[in-house]
Amino acid sequence: MTAAIGDTLLSFFVLCGLGLLLSQAGKRRAAVIIACLGTLCSMLLIAAAALRLIGGQDFDASLWTLNGWGALSLHLDALSAVFLFTAGLVYLSCSLFAPDYFLNYFQGRYPAGRFGALHFALMGLVVLVLIAGDVLTFLLCWECMTLLIYLLVNYEQHQQTDSNAGYIMLAMSEAGFLAVVIAFLIVASHADGFSFSALRAASVSLSNSGSGGVFVLGFLGFGVKAGLVPVNFWLPRCYTASPSAFAPVLAGVTLNLGLYGIVRLNGDLAPGHSLGAGLAALIVGSVTALVGILYATTENDLKTMLAHSSIENAGIIVAGFGAFLVFRNSGDAVPAAIALTAALYHMVNHAVYKALLYEGAGHIEASTGTRDMDRLGGLIRVLPALSVLFLVGCLAISAVPPFNGFVSEWMTLQTFLRSALLPSAVVKVVFALCGAILALTAALAVTCFVKTYAMTFLGIRRGAWTPNTILPARKPRFSLTILAVSCFLLGILPTHVIPVLDRAVQPLAGTSATAALVPPFFTATSENQQLPTGFLQDFHNLGAQTGAGLIPGRGLVILLRGSEQNPVVFAMSPSYSLIALAALLLLAWFIVGHLTRQRVTSRREVWAGGIPRLLPEMSYTATGFSNPVRVVFQAIFRPNIVEDTRETVSVHFRTAILRRRDETHLVDRLFLHPVGDAISWVARSLAAMHHGRLNAYVSYFVGFLVLILFLYRLT
Amino acid sequence: MITTPISPTGRTVSSLGADVATRFGSVITLSEGPGEDTLVVVKRASALPTLCKYLFWEAGCSFGGIVAEEQKDQWNLLYLFLLPGAGWIHLRLAFPVETRTLPSISAEVHAADWYEREAEDLFGLRFEGHPRLGDFILHDQVWQEDLAPMRLAFDPRQPRLERRPNQEWRPTLVVKDPGAFAMPVGPIYDGGLGESIHFLLETVGEDVIRAVPRLFYNYRAVEKLAEGKTVSSGILLAERFAAKSAFAHSLAYCQAVERAARINVPARATRLRVILCELERLRHHAGAIEGICQSTALSVSEAQAAIIEEELLRASCVFTGHRYLFGLNTPGGLRRDFDAESCSACLAAVNRAVEQLCRLEDRLRYTSSFLDRLEDVGVITPEAALDLDLVGPIGRASGLAKDLRAICPYASYQRFRFEVPCEMEGDGYARLRILFAETKQSASLIRQAIESLRPGEICAEAIDSVTGSALGWVEAPLGTALHYVKFGEGGRIDRYRILPPSFRNWLGLHVAVEDFAFQDFPIILATFGLSATECDR
Amino acid sequence: MAFWFWHGLRNGVQSTRYPHTSESAAGVSPGHPLSTRFPSATDAARVAAACPVEAITAVDDLAQIEHKRCVYCQRCHFGGTERVHWDSSFEWTRPHSIRARYDPLPRDFSASLHIIVVDAGDCGACLNEVKQLNNPLYNMHRLGFFFTPTPRSADVLIVVGPVSENMRGPLLKTYEAMPNPKRVIAVGACAITGGVFERTFMSAGGVGSVLPVDLDVPGDPPPPLAILHGLLVVTGRKQPVPHGMLAAGALK
Repeated sequence: MTAAIGDTLLSFFVLCGLGLLLSQAGKRRAAVIIACLGTLCSMLLIAAAALRLIGGQDFDASLWTLNGWGALSLHLDALSAVFLFTAGLVYLSCSLFAPDYFLNYFQGRYPAGRFGALHFALMGLVVLVLIAGDVLTFLLCWECMTLLIYLLVNYEQHQQTDSNAGYIMLAMSEAGFLAVVIAFLIVASHADGFSFSALRAASVSLSNSGSGGVFVLGFLGFGVKAGLVPVNFWLPRCYTASPSAFAPVLAGVTLNLGLYGIVRLNGDLAPGHSLGAGLAALIVGSVTALVGILYATTENDLKTMLAHSSIENAGIIVAGFGAFLVFRNSGDAVPAAIALTAALYHMVNHAVYKALLYEGAGHIEASTGTRDMDRLGGLIRVLPALSVLFLVGCLAISAVPPFNGFVSEWMTLQTFLRSALLPSAVVKVVFALCGAILALTAALAVTCFVKTYAMTFLGIRRGAWTPNTILPARKPRFSLTILAVSCFLLGILPTHVIPVLDRAVQPLAGTSATAALVPPFFTATSENQQLPTGFLQDFHNLGAQTGAGLIPGRGLVILLRGSEQNPVVFAMSPSYSLIALAALLLLAWFIVGHLTRQRVTSRREVWAGGIPRLLPEMSYTATGFSNPVRVVFQAIFRPNIVEDTRETVSVHFRTAILRRRDETHLVDRLFLHPVGDAISWVARSLAAMHHGRLNAYVSYFVGFLVLILFLYRLT
Repeated sequence: MITTPISPTGRTVSSLGADVATRFGSVITLSEGPGEDTLVVVKRASALPTLCKYLFWEAGCSFGGIVAEEQKDQWNLLYLFLLPGAGWIHLRLAFPVETRTLPSISAEVHAADWYEREAEDLFGLRFEGHPRLGDFILHDQVWQEDLAPMRLAFDPRQPRLERRPNQEWRPTLVVKDPGAFAMPVGPIYDGGLGESIHFLLETVGEDVIRAVPRLFYNYRAVEKLAEGKTVSSGILLAERFAAKSAFAHSLAYCQAVERAARINVPARATRLRVILCELERLRHHAGAIEGICQSTALSVSEAQAAIIEEELLRASCVFTGHRYLFGLNTPGGLRRDFDAESCSACLAAVNRAVEQLCRLEDRLRYTSSFLDRLEDVGVITPEAALDLDLVGPIGRASGLAKDLRAICPYASYQRFRFEVPCEMEGDGYARLRILFAETKQSASLIRQAIESLRPGEICAEAIDSVTGSALGWVEAPLGTALHYVKFGEGGRIDRYRILPPSFRNWLGLHVAVEDFAFQDFPIILATFGLSATECDR
Repeated sequence: MAFWFWHGLRNGVQSTRYPHTSESAAGVSPGHPLSTRFPSATDAARVAAACPVEAITAVDDLAQIEHKRCVYCQRCHFGGTERVHWDSSFEWTRPHSIRARYDPLPRDFSASLHIIVVDAGDCGACLNEVKQLNNPLYNMHRLGFFFTPTPRSADVLIVVGPVSENMRGPLLKTYEAMPNPKRVIAVGACAITGGVFERTFMSAGGVGSVLPVDLDVPGDPPPPLAILHGLLVVTGRKQPVPHGMLAAGALK
């Protein structure tokens, strides 16, 4: 099996290199190559990940040895495979989306060839980062990847802000990289070598402060990529500036690399033993989620809104990861495993639906020339297919069954309820507060995506675009459909996804959550004693065994069983609910149809108080829809009214009222600006020393010399 | 707070006329105008804005309105000004019929804004310097811009089949905030129980930044319709275009005719007119109070006010035979007399109603949830009220204690004692207090007038042929109502101009509807209590 | 706040019992003129000439009144020496069309009727009288009649006013937005014939020229009970007054 994985990966890298070279050809050919080779590469990725997850054997390969630095090696374990699979899925869709994007939308204004080369190079590096078996490979690839991302973000340099966004991203990534390097070095200083296995072995001997430092540095360093508060201010700027063909990769792949880093370093290599790290992750995750969704809800730019929403989702994932750390360090292995499963599940889900939404947004922008929801509206009539696919994405991200977001958010919140098991009251309170924050986040997410869908697809066309300029949704339909179907399958078959994820969770949590989460209702009978008899009986009466003959697996019910003292059972089955929902809808449809079979329906215009027709300026705007949120959370947004003009003619006749608000993002206000101010203050103070007087410079030398001598004397 | 009305300046119209003559001697001539009012003939159009500015801002005159008139070969525009306590001054500007442009005075006298828009829409006159003309009375979605229906050549009874409505009509929105939109309300809203008005509430969500009313859905061209009618047919229009103040408007019409015909109305009729005027005011205010209670969703008080209004309607019906006091006035007096018994029955009903209103007021005054919704809502400052020269209870709630009954008495108001209530706050609650205070004054006036009734004639001899023109004025329940009638050959009406109080106050509404919470909108409207149909005509 | 509840209760039930019993409180209706026979044809002609809206035609010694034109100026009653008879009732709703038989709404609507009102250039009197139906003295809700804010759920359209040109579009929109079955009631002389506003470029001269009207409630304005009678007729709970009956029945 490992040989098969090796072959698959080798052919992947060969194809990747081929793509890199070939896509330099003309733009039409480049597009074909991106589509063909990209699809093949992604499928190989999925195949390699699947082989690992099904086979259960790690793949190891040693590349070459550097003198004094140890060997560069590759290592594909289940955790890497989960991330690899997700990346493959997103890349599969993007490889189909990107060529169309370049060919149809920009009529060759931007060369597809260079994009193709960067695309394949990044794909290869992403895979290398995920399967790196030692620190050197990991860091080397990570750094190269950062540079490539910078080039891709700046690919369509139409505006000054775009390149600024790229610079900020680069600066933040480098700062994060530095933190990560230090974290790895701290661990490596105790280990004999740079391979991950050596590090894992050495982490036990880390001191408390050492592991604390590793956690903080690693968490913040990788948090830059994952978009965690307070190091995420580059993210919305950069996601918005990046080309629509690349944005799905940013949200669906590179964000996950940040999460991979956190899980790998803080969960796997140097987990530490204190509760503090877990609680910190929990709090940072919850706050990130809330801040992300608040700014997403009030944002009117489709891509920026999706970027803020990515921050929110990363927050939820990290909160789940934090819960995992807390549970594991307090010795509750099964809840820990469940929490990590939930976090990984949400990671997969987010990648899938966010890529779907970004591709949809890209198509909308290309068709209408705008991303401003205030100027969209009524797209459902001109882009019916896209509207259905985008709706799937919106429902999934709003955690509405039967789509995937629901399962993972439900599991995350359910895990939080397990905090009742924990002994410490403080920890319980933190869990309760974070749970409340996540619940609020979930509610706001619904508001946000109701607004997004309604303002973009429903209502009246508000912008200057006309239905004639709309590009047919025929082309990108396939790439979006792949993701929409994935959303649906991940949503209705969680009981088949969880055991797969469990393979990645098991080494980290030390135990399997499958038995607890997905009880074997299909195979358990009252004789074979796999489950308590009364319990089994109750669930069989509810129909938990339905479909046992048709569907392989353990069952279709996810279950969170309480402990002995707390015998509460939370069970959920999107698979059965889907059937029940469909049956109920069908029944309702029949009943209503029967009752109203004699009713004559007539369609009339919208009633608007009797005016001749409802004009676009009379319909709700996205700003108007989200204004209540803006008002309620005013203390967080702190809007500054930068302009308040009331123009009048001859004193009394009002001709214009204009009030423009300017909001500084919470993170910018509380973190970026103070840090920036401090740096410039230091620079200013140092600059004061450089006044050009020779005597002063000489005295600096003398003073420094004296100081050195003094210190030398002391030691 | 009860204050005395604006103290008369002590000047007479003739002394003001002399002042005007010394200042503007080169561009005006003084003479006697319609119905013995002072007439200032403006010889040079460009002097008009300064002259109006002088009269309004320096001489302390109130602005009455603009009466435009097309004669055979010339335009004749009358700008009406009232010197409180003294009398009316008419500025007349005449210019050849081919000239269609004249200077706008709305930059100086802001209250003239809508009058100029109206003249532009109905006569096709262009007011140079006016910031927004067109699409006012004749909606651009229905009519072409160049219809000019008030011109002499226009036959109102001829069907107008050719229409060139502006299909691309867009509202002129003022709020330019990013993401701003206009929430449309009406013209049919509230189950149709509100009058036909279309509002655009400009907002960026939550709070309304500005509300723009679009009126004149009820425009029935009453002024055009009256042309060529006899005196006795004209009064049907005067009392039926706005039924909630039907008697006041018919009285203004009758007084205009009486002044033109120079006849004296018998004393009994003038006192009965006072009774009927005040009965109408009382009933109108009871209805307005009901509207305010309804807007704040205080159902019990709404029901109680509604009962008072209905009982006053019934009392009117028993007293006069008509619930809205139609068919009583006639030029020269009244159409019917009332015996002492029915007068005292009426007084009893009025006293009962006022007593109930007092009780209602007491309860409302101690209902904090009710006051919270009225206080500081829809504020019009005294400066803004003066600026737009608001009239009636709305002006009086903002410190503009102007009441024609006191500053330019008609009928026999000079014989009776009454006070003009006045408040300074200018918010919704101040307007409600004015309404309550006025009902008490009305009841007192009715009592005084009934006590002062002496037997006698109720109507001067029938008026058959009238010539000339005159202005009639009445303090209608909603404020200054002016009716200008000009008779032509055969005693038929040549030009009939109605200057209703609602028209003026609807213009003033825009001051009160900036930056308010959406749920306050019905309350602001109710405390204004304006009538769209009175404004539209 | 609680005291409002108490004061409300203390007022007791003040609603009229109409239509279960007759209502005879003073002033609920101004009444209406009746066709009258005069001693001589000249008297009748003089009465007819006094009418400013030509609602009275003299046929020999009979002054015949056309109620749909009458604007209640009362000149035939208080003006000269000759007076027409005056009836103080208020049940005078009649079918709009002289020829077609009036067809009330199905029985389902008799105790649940939703009404939308359109002010199509009304002077405010008819509208105010319609609004009075909500007031506790008439309390239309006890009969299952409700005003509804949207025509989508309205069964009956009450139109007041002569239909001003600016309101023609909104009125038609309202009618079109109403589901079937629907009925239109023209309330007031203006809504029936245009009244004093006639038929001009700005007034359609009655709802009939814009929409198919089912019932007329004459009066200027008709009192609330007359309008209530109209609503009872539309649901089939009362019978409309046939055309000409008032005239014939009043012959003395």
